[in-house]
Amino acid sequence: MADVAIHTSGLSKSYGDTVALRNLDLTIHSGEIFGLLGHNGAGKTTAVNLLTTLLEPSSGSMQVAGVDTAADPNGVRRVIGYLPENVQFYDNLTTMENLRFFARLSGLSKPDARIGEVLEYLDFTGHDDQRVGSFSKGMRQRVGIAQAILHTPSVLFLDEPTSGLDPEGVRQLRDVIVALNRDLGMTIFMNTHLLSEVTKTCTSIGILRQGELAYQASLAATLEAFPGEDSLEEIYLNIRSAPAS
Amino acid sequence: MTAVLTMARQELVALRRERLPLVLLIVFVVMVSVSSLIGWLTNTTVSNVWQKTVQAGLTQAPNPFADVSPLYYARNTVIYLVLIGALMAIVVGVTSTMRDRKARTIDLVLSRPIRVPAYLLGKLAGIGAWLAMILAAVAVISWASISIIASGPLAAGDSLRLAGFYAVAWVLLLAFVALGMLSGIYASRETTALLVPISIWSIVAFVLPQIGTSANPVSLLNPVPSVKIPGGAFDTLNTVVSPLSVTEQFKTASGLIMANPEVTGSLAPSLFVIVLAFAVGAIALLATKRDRIRGALRD
Repeated sequence: MADVAIHTSGLSKSYGDTVALRNLDLTIHSGEIFGLLGHNGAGKTTAVNLLTTLLEPSSGSMQVAGVDTAADPNGVRRVIGYLPENVQFYDNLTTMENLRFFARLSGLSKPDARIGEVLEYLDFTGHDDQRVGSFSKGMRQRVGIAQAILHTPSVLFLDEPTSGLDPEGVRQLRDVIVALNRDLGMTIFMNTHLLSEVTKTCTSIGILRQGELAYQASLAATLEAFPGEDSLEEIYLNIRSAPAS
Repeated sequence: MTAVLTMARQELVALRRERLPLVLLIVFVVMVSVSSLIGWLTNTTVSNVWQKTVQAGLTQAPNPFADVSPLYYARNTVIYLVLIGALMAIVVGVTSTMRDRKARTIDLVLSRPIRVPAYLLGKLAGIGAWLAMILAAVAVISWASISIIASGPLAAGDSLRLAGFYAVAWVLLLAFVALGMLSGIYASRETTALLVPISIWSIVAFVLPQIGTSANPVSLLNPVPSVKIPGGAFDTLNTVVSPLSVTEQFKTASGLIMANPEVTGSLAPSLFVIVLAFAVGAIALLATKRDRIRGALRD
């Protein structure tokens, strides 16, 4: 695996006259759990959609796991996993049928054994033949994580993964994210607005403000750089309200 | 190729689970199955009336059903295919592309190593396989019921004609599937996605043939065949619009394939229009851009 997991240079995305993301220069090293922070509409989801090749940039370039997204988008798709915000599945299909489909799309020809392994790893056994439509938000999120890691990606993108989960669900998901990073060495890129989750999960952070990257550093360096602040929340608000350079 | 097969397989799984296509399928199979019975009842009723008329000495004309081909009993199937079959194909097509937009599963799919043409071709192939299985089953039912009514197995030539008819029907239904899929991609609302292709279908199946009829208005009022006036405005209009009614072309092609003596003309032009309708739909589908199939619904 390349040492740099994600690299973007001058990455911008506009929708007509609206600039969603402006000149994003970002470098995330392999093995990091990176939390991208920002208020609603700051451009977090646009950044993930660009990095997962769902969107094409208006300008700039990006490499994921050393693969250029413009030159080889399918190459990027082979090495990433993606969990969108409020993940949805084919509700009238079972867990197994849904996961089989996504596994095959990811190139696994006989996926059943691998699905079994992943569901066991996520402590989600016994639901194979249940239709996903009957699942709670937390259960869906488990299936969402399962579909994202079936093909053992090197970089995992999570868009607001704890959105809508109850406190127990949030804790379980946080444990899963940390375990995936620790056990499988996955680099994790996570969009979130829950600062408490970032403190407990991430190794580095970035802050988006009106489509521009206002800050990027390791979590440890961030806490050290703002000794007067009691929490990441105060640091975040401080950086967000600072005048743009 | 693997991605196309995966999509086709998934489409078959999804079709097995969805209710509306299943209901339409049951109606379609029942109607096609009873079409032979309807043909047989017509034959029996007319023959009985003819026999009584002969016995009363009121006619010496031969029984109009005396030399009728066994394939006569399958003629109603043509209408059911144009009406229920095409409607079913549209609904299945719309559901297919609308499913991923509605549930937002499209983002999960497109984050995988799959190109848009492979995604759509796989869906089309899956529905094509589903329709082929249905039409094959219906063809077998049709063959068996005709054989029972005709008191003997259908001859090899007639069996081939029946198979040819269902093969052409498959291409026609695929054209409507492609239309439905396109609507499922481009419509901004689910209801619009269904309404647009159904409107197009009703224009093709009902309005365009009526324009042809209006060109010879006397045919609506008088049982005597109308005399066409070549070169007139109605005749020119009829010449332009009649090939566009793919369902009428299907009726003509079916009549010729099943040796219906009332249908005359050449098979090739009708077949060409049906295949062209499918080809245009398939090409438009495969040319769809990535951003387009991710389009959010306004419902």
